[in-house]
Amino acid sequence: MMTPGGSGRLRPLPTAMYAGYSGTASSWVAKTSVSASGKRIQREMAELNVDPPPDCSAGPKGDNLYHWIATIIGPSGTPYEGGIFFLDIIFPSDYPFKPPKLVFKTRIYHCNVDTAGDLSVDILRDSWSPALTITKVLQAIRSIFLKPEPYSPALPVIARLYLTDRDKHDEVAKEWTLRFAK
Amino acid sequence: MISDSITNASATSAPRDSGKKKRNNKSAKMKQNKLGLRREQWLSQVAVSNKEGKEEKSVNRSEKSDQRDNQPVVCREEGNNGGNNLHHESFMESPSNSSVGGTDSSTNFSGRSSRSSSSSSGFCSGNVTEEENVDDDDDDDGCVDDWEAVADALAAEEEIEKESRLHESVKEQESVGQSASNVCDSISDASDVVCVKDPEQDCLRVASRKQESNRAWRPDDDLRPQGLPNLAKQLSFPELDKRFSSVAIPSSCPICYEDLDLTDSNFLPCPCGFRLCLFCHKTICDGDGRCPGCRKPYERNAIKAETSIQGGGLTIRLARSSSMFCKF
Repeated sequence: MMTPGGSGRLRPLPTAMYAGYSGTASSWVAKTSVSASGKRIQREMAELNVDPPPDCSAGPKGDNLYHWIATIIGPSGTPYEGGIFFLDIIFPSDYPFKPPKLVFKTRIYHCNVDTAGDLSVDILRDSWSPALTITKVLQAIRSIFLKPEPYSPALPVIARLYLTDRDKHDEVAKEWTLRFAK
Repeated sequence: MISDSITNASATSAPRDSGKKKRNNKSAKMKQNKLGLRREQWLSQVAVSNKEGKEEKSVNRSEKSDQRDNQPVVCREEGNNGGNNLHHESFMESPSNSSVGGTDSSTNFSGRSSRSSSSSSGFCSGNVTEEENVDDDDDDDGCVDDWEAVADALAAEEEIEKESRLHESVKEQESVGQSASNVCDSISDASDVVCVKDPEQDCLRVASRKQESNRAWRPDDDLRPQGLPNLAKQLSFPELDKRFSSVAIPSSCPICYEDLDLTDSNFLPCPCGFRLCLFCHKTICDGDGRCPGCRKPYERNAIKAETSIQGGGLTIRLARSSSMFCKF
């Protein structure tokens, strides 16, 4: 899998541009896994297996290192309790200099997740730092289950309901969890 | 290794007469293990004259009772972790050792490590299984509860009394009429116990050492703790390495997980202290140019200085790296 040209000081920087998730051929993936992003993602995978965050799990979907699938179990004490929420994680070829793209595959009634499943979480956009890992991202997503951020919403309707009528919001969220996440 | 030396020593020391044994004891006192030896002597002595000794000891003991109580508690707790089975086994052996070998230990000081272990293990088992064997307990408990106090008392007491004790123990040894091979067997058994119960034994030993004297460890000392730094090794460090080891530098770049080389380790692009390799730094500067650690934009002049260094010679780079170290 690893070729000697990929590691060490001599690795050319721009190869990361060609690396990564293209979705075309699996041979591409095998070649590109030696790039900077591939090594980083492999290391993150190992760390996640050793020390997974609570209620979270993640791993490559198939043999493509740049396409993961993650699950987050709804934390107890929230309307999402007991639900299992699936997310797709797509790493860009220049990861970790660009943030990974996370999409909810399970429908969820949450003011920070829009109807397409995209998240409005600042660390996945402007506040991304290469020092963040997928473990920290999953922890951040779990924290918005516990405490939504209605002031930077993906769906302002839900955010407004959350701020005005919290009980109604929780009731609907619970119903959605029962219907879609179990 | 231990059992080898023990068998040799026991084989040679068995036929010696009492005068030689005394000399042996004095040389042993010069060494660091005299406390353990005295404990052994006292063990053998108490086995013989349990009742008469207790009266004078109780007087000496009264002051130190607090200190002594602390140590056995620790030992007992560890003994519980180690499991009762072990102590039972060692206890099964310890009667033969304490009656036969215990007297022998006063003559044979190279065997004292195994001796002390057998006695301490006997002590532990005595405490752990106190209810079960009451009659044996009297001897063992009495012995080891007092051994520290007696070591202190012995230091103060006259030599005469000790010599008389030696005499008695020697006589007893002869009367038992043990063969050298018997001793070897019992010692090797005891040394097996030592191997298993090593940490406990070490703790005891170190404690007794600390109490005994302030003398430094010799580098070739058997009982020298592993944690002590090796002076010769430390001196062999070059000055550069020492300077690097004092500063916590990650061994690999937190961004790309490649190893940091010397230049990378000296590279400190942001005052927040977040380190990364030059490749990742360049990639970030080509993009938004913010430090991954604090999200603040990198200072432009720092980057310019870095590029001029890359164009410059070695001396400039060294000066730069040392100045970066001064920031710490």
